[in-house]
Amino acid sequence: MKLYRLLLSLYPARFREEYGGPLEQQFLDDYREAHNTGMRFKLWLSALRDLAWSIPVELAHELRQDLAHSLRVHARRPFVMTFTIAILALAIGGATGVFSVVNAVLIKSLPFRDPDRLMLLSNIGVPNTSIPDAKGRSAKTDVFLSSEDSPGSGAAGFKNWRTNSIYLEDAAEYLTAEMNITGVSAPVRVTVAETSYNFFSMLGSEPALGRAFAPGEDVPGNDNVLIIGHALWQQLYGSDPRVLGSKILLNGVPMTVVGVARPAFDYPAKASVWIPTAFDMMRVPAGGVFFPRTIGRLKSGLTITLAQKMFEADGEQLSPGRKREDWERLELIPLRTQLAAKTRQASLVLMGAIGFVLLIACANVANLLLTRTTERRGELLIRAALGASRGRLVQQLLSESVLLSAIAAAASLGIAYWASKLAAVAQPAELAAQQYTILDWRVLGFAIGTAIATGILFGVVPAWLVRSLQPSGDLARMQSVAPRAGRLRGVLIAIQVALTMILLAGSATMGRGFLRLLGTDIGFRPDHLVTLSVSLTGTPEESDARKAPYYRDVLERLRGVQGVESAAAIDFLPLDAHSFIGGNLFTESGAETPLVIFGRVTPDYFRTMDTRIVYGREFTAADRGRVAIVTEGVARKIGEGSSTIGRRIRRRNEEEPFTIIGVVQPIRYSGPEQSGGMEQMFLSAGSNAPIFATFIARVSGNAADSLAVCRDAVQSVDREVPVYGVKTYQQRLDETLAVPRFRTTIFLFFGGFALLLAIAGIYGVSSYSITQRRREIGVRIAIGASAQGVRAMILRQALWPIGAGMLIGVGGAAWQGRLLEHLLPAAPPTDMAACAAAAVLLAVVAVVAIWSATSRVLELNPIEVLKSE
Amino acid sequence: MPKKNIPAPKDLLPLSPTLFHLLLALHDGERHGYALKREIARRTAGAINPGAGVLYGSINRMLEQGLIEESEERPDAHLDDERRRYYRITPFGRLVAQAEAVRMRELVQIADQAFGLPERA
Repeated sequence: MKLYRLLLSLYPARFREEYGGPLEQQFLDDYREAHNTGMRFKLWLSALRDLAWSIPVELAHELRQDLAHSLRVHARRPFVMTFTIAILALAIGGATGVFSVVNAVLIKSLPFRDPDRLMLLSNIGVPNTSIPDAKGRSAKTDVFLSSEDSPGSGAAGFKNWRTNSIYLEDAAEYLTAEMNITGVSAPVRVTVAETSYNFFSMLGSEPALGRAFAPGEDVPGNDNVLIIGHALWQQLYGSDPRVLGSKILLNGVPMTVVGVARPAFDYPAKASVWIPTAFDMMRVPAGGVFFPRTIGRLKSGLTITLAQKMFEADGEQLSPGRKREDWERLELIPLRTQLAAKTRQASLVLMGAIGFVLLIACANVANLLLTRTTERRGELLIRAALGASRGRLVQQLLSESVLLSAIAAAASLGIAYWASKLAAVAQPAELAAQQYTILDWRVLGFAIGTAIATGILFGVVPAWLVRSLQPSGDLARMQSVAPRAGRLRGVLIAIQVALTMILLAGSATMGRGFLRLLGTDIGFRPDHLVTLSVSLTGTPEESDARKAPYYRDVLERLRGVQGVESAAAIDFLPLDAHSFIGGNLFTESGAETPLVIFGRVTPDYFRTMDTRIVYGREFTAADRGRVAIVTEGVARKIGEGSSTIGRRIRRRNEEEPFTIIGVVQPIRYSGPEQSGGMEQMFLSAGSNAPIFATFIARVSGNAADSLAVCRDAVQSVDREVPVYGVKTYQQRLDETLAVPRFRTTIFLFFGGFALLLAIAGIYGVSSYSITQRRREIGVRIAIGASAQGVRAMILRQALWPIGAGMLIGVGGAAWQGRLLEHLLPAAPPTDMAACAAAAVLLAVVAVVAIWSATSRVLELNPIEVLKSE
Repeated sequence: MPKKNIPAPKDLLPLSPTLFHLLLALHDGERHGYALKREIARRTAGAINPGAGVLYGSINRMLEQGLIEESEERPDAHLDDERRRYYRITPFGRLVAQAEAVRMRELVQIADQAFGLPERA
């Protein structure tokens, strides 16, 4: 019988109260008639069937009634309803949008088999100095700088290493480079992944068409095969399956297409072509610097901690006794973490921020509904007196708020869609294949879950209040609800103020940090600059004999373009280059500089960039020998002031030094966010012309207007050379700043939104609570209190929750400051000025609200007020 | 509790078999839920035998629609458990039951014209 009674509690409140007794009685009657175990078993079976059918029916029935009632109730106060829905829709929509990003970045599975066991093996390998030899490159060409060196040497060494691994099931090698596809109607520049043959099988993503690389195809001599990306296949071949077996000229080298990758597969780094040449650097000369990376699949059943230990031992074995700097630490990084690295922390912090907004919205709506409930206490009391139980009233209030949040959730999907579109702007390149979709079940589940949770959260407060109503009590009892509601409102306001202050202080910090970023001197003037890139690999201009004349011709044509004031070229353009050549320099006295980036530039480069020359001069056409220009940081290592000029400096592994002819101001190589430490040395392109370069032209007019004419000028020299990256420098800078700009905008939006919510909430609640105290104020005035005195008293009472909230807010803001550094490294520490400004603003809002509401009450005739009560 | 806008009897048609039988079982006086259930089971030879939840769900719906009402009168307390509740049919309930019967009669006539009706199914 107890069990049956327990099951009855699953019915909705009203039905249970109404029919619980008869239901129990009927079950008891049936039970008495069941004389043996078999009959009792049958009785239970039919009772359970009956409950399983009728409980959902009754729930739906009562819910329908409650919702209909709720609609009528809400329709009587359309403002409260609209306001509540709008606030919740914005808050839930924002949260859902941010969640769709978090979902894509952190939760959704990667398009690989069993992706959680895929690891990036960071810094495994032999010391970097030996790499060029191992790969057949002369150590003299470029100094390799790589944070992820490859284990073993060559395809055979790598295979031997991975098959003998005790912690890896499999491992693959890859590096990426930009290459030219020529021999087609319009040459294109694509990102190419050079891999070991097992790259696709290791990831568990077989090509959509054709085959993956076969064993042994990564051995030099066998590696003239290519897998083309799905999108590029559509673009170049119109999805023609006859592409298999055809030849593609990659940097001038003919390669046979053996497969087409799956749609949206673009790992790593948005690659659209894969070739098995990870160990054959001379096969398809790419020019530039290479960062080989090793990814591996952990053996099943192995924990990351244990695998990390084995990995460290392995690394030590590969390069015994190697002293490792911090940045070359041996580390197993889950592939998911690597892909999400840039967004992970930021996404979580944004998630936290939107959580705050959601809480503020909840507190606000709870406050609003609380006010409504107090206003409706007459109605509720009458219903209670007519026999509605507390459970029934609580159910009614809860369904009212769930209805509101359900409508808000539906509306929020539109906002979420917009928010996720915005979020897509900030996605890191490696995650381009990830779609921020709000139609994912997790995202939808999140929206619905949030709506229900929000509904319950803000439904609970008014409902809790109703629980204190005594159905049997006299009407005088309902007065006791008011002070309790007042205290609750105070707590809710304090929470709101605290959260708003934290968000506002965060917004102010982010905003100031971003302004600081914009004001950063990056070492050149990006306005009025046109940039155009070329790569000569695989083109008629590739040979050493033709490179220098080609650059000279292009620069001449560019200078001839109307409006162009000066033009120059550099191999690794600041802000653009994802890789660089660098190394340590040695002074005459033998002192070693920290890492210095090398760049080859043509004459006029610094004039065109508008980079200040501190001492000495820039290159001229006559500079063909071993001369160099360095940034101030390098110069300081060598000598004092202008004494640096004429000094000599040497690169590692090179005998012949460079003579310094100029010192320039520091240049932020990777953009305003760079925290410093990247010094540069510039060499004259005249003595050793690079295989790829970016032309820059300073124009007198609007740079964007000169893009087309400048591109035509470059193309006119040799149409076989693809020209890409045709952008103004300002566009490049904007791209660099897109992510911090996006985060700052979001934070400013959240902060502003929170402030609006708080203002609306505090104003509404303060004015309403005073209107409720008309009678009391009337009495005070009638017995001789002064208007000023009453006002002061009310202000004192109303300001304490705001004050309490402020105290909590200041503490929270200070704590939050540390989190913001993940979003915007340039963010200054949380300043108390921003906190104080937020606090003053909220206090002013409260005072104005209370002042105007009190004025309205004080203007009334006390006698009238008392009469009307 | 009848609704504010009282519907016409026809608006509630067709009735579910359970509802119709409940109305029929109340034609000759008040009954409590359990008695209703047994009466229906008897009349339909067990073909319709609603469980307690379904039964009171139907009763609840009929009360809301004003087809039946709860009776205040109770038999002697010694004879009856006070948890039992008694119901009787309202005049509106009679009208609805009649309307349902008329609807069925018309249906039967149409079927008769179409196929002819044998004595037994």
